[in-house]
Amino acid sequence: MWLWYDWRAAAVADSNCNILDSEEWDGWHDTNAVCSRMDMIAHEALTPEAERLLERFPEAKPLIHGHDDLPDAAWPLPSQEALESLDKAAILLSKRGVDAAAGDPDRRLEHILKASDELRAAYVTIEGRLVEWVGLFLPEARFERDRSALAKNVVEADNLEGLAGTLDIGMPPEGPTDAEWDSLKDWAVSVREIKGRLDRMENVVRELATSHLPSLSALLGPILAARLCVEAHGRARLARLPAGTMQILGAEKAFFNHLKTGAPSPKHGHIFMHPWISRSPRWVRGKIARTVAAKASIAARCDAYGGEVWSQEAVDAVAARVEVIRSENSKPRQG
Amino acid sequence: MAKKRRLSWAVMIDGRSIWTLNAVPKRSQYGESLRKFRGEEYRRWDPTRSKLGAGLSRARNTQYELLPDEGDTCLYLGAGHGTSISHLHDHVCGANNEKGGRIIAVDLSPRCLRDLVHLSTLRPGLVPVLGDARKHAAWGIMVSNKVDWLLQDVSQAGQADIFIKAVKRFLKPGGKGLLSLKAASERFSEGGEREVFRQVRTQLEDAGLNIEEQIDLHGLEDNHCLYYVTN
Repeated sequence: MWLWYDWRAAAVADSNCNILDSEEWDGWHDTNAVCSRMDMIAHEALTPEAERLLERFPEAKPLIHGHDDLPDAAWPLPSQEALESLDKAAILLSKRGVDAAAGDPDRRLEHILKASDELRAAYVTIEGRLVEWVGLFLPEARFERDRSALAKNVVEADNLEGLAGTLDIGMPPEGPTDAEWDSLKDWAVSVREIKGRLDRMENVVRELATSHLPSLSALLGPILAARLCVEAHGRARLARLPAGTMQILGAEKAFFNHLKTGAPSPKHGHIFMHPWISRSPRWVRGKIARTVAAKASIAARCDAYGGEVWSQEAVDAVAARVEVIRSENSKPRQG
Repeated sequence: MAKKRRLSWAVMIDGRSIWTLNAVPKRSQYGESLRKFRGEEYRRWDPTRSKLGAGLSRARNTQYELLPDEGDTCLYLGAGHGTSISHLHDHVCGANNEKGGRIIAVDLSPRCLRDLVHLSTLRPGLVPVLGDARKHAAWGIMVSNKVDWLLQDVSQAGQADIFIKAVKRFLKPGGKGLLSLKAASERFSEGGEREVFRQVRTQLEDAGLNIEEQIDLHGLEDNHCLYYVTN
């Protein structure tokens, strides 16, 4: 005995394919109601019609329309009009799905992180130009230590002389024309503006990452956590990656080159940005990267599967472990 | 002047290019050129943007058979941004769905669905569905009756398995199935893409499908092959 059902009707047939009983739903004129039915079926739940028939025929096996095992019988298929209503519901469901994508933190993180990367690239270029430009007119100026105040100083100075005064250096014989100075000043204005925008943007990344990936952010810092998440195309995928992949995320080029040509394998990808690795001597970086990546993949799983958020103690324990690795390998291995 | 041939009421071949009768006049869907033939507007089907278009221009024996009939129900797995879909719609449905066709376009990515939903407002008869081509349980019920024509263009490993399952579940007996296979999505195999194409061919044959033509899209869409099968 078979219990057939689809989104609109259900029917019971005996083993000779004679329809014994059927139930139909007539609420399909309402697109919203059809949508909720679709949701119901997508979650593999029985429709109310199928439930009712199952009560009457408890021995029947409920199978959805299109199932391989179902025999061909005169199942009560939807009318043309009902099909049109179904199409409308499908479009509405798709719209809802598209709207729901805006609520996906993975996609939001991706956009803002990539935007802030692009802005940072732009900032580095135009800030470098400002330093060189000022350096041309004021050869005595030295900015090796801290050049963050330079843009502010240029914006606040009235002319080159004023700037030289703030920087406490002498004036050269040749100087820019007034119009040239104005351009230089405009340039400094945009440097400052972009810096402000960049800081704000990176704060948003930190906020988003801390709420989306609390444990991983605690362990690696929010920006690095966000970068790993984006590189892995989402938190769910990040959580499924083995620690070895986490270790070299961002070093795909080197990794595939390694597979192809047998060049040395990369020891770290984005994770290198963490001071535990980048500030360690070269010969322990690989070891530390391996340990940190193993811990990071646990943290990512805690975040993705609703585990406990890592406490500061847990992070300190990893830091202690990193310290042990460093002290155990204070000298590069000989040979 | 090159000779014009008709593949169907809406599809025309003029020399090397394919043109479809525009169901939404004066509107170019993805930047393709528009041109009038005898007072009717046609859109150029760019074979480098659409694997179905590439298949049509490369097919040797089955050029007249690849497309569904007008008014058919079609299932398109891996619809993308709707480039191929728009031309398919010109042919199957026509302006305001005068031919009464139905195209169910399934894609996994919300970004693509956004374009498809917009397309569906311009082109009645097109039904976008957000879903994974492998997970029939979630959206299979949208396909109430079996379809006449099925095309699969997904870039996931195991494309042939996905295709065979979809054909068994959704394609009418005697229906047409097209599988656009991307060799790079399959696991690396000794012997390169030729070996992949050969393996998939046996796989389809073992599943009881008749391969009508295997169309190599090299040059238009590298590392791709289009299989035209019937069941």
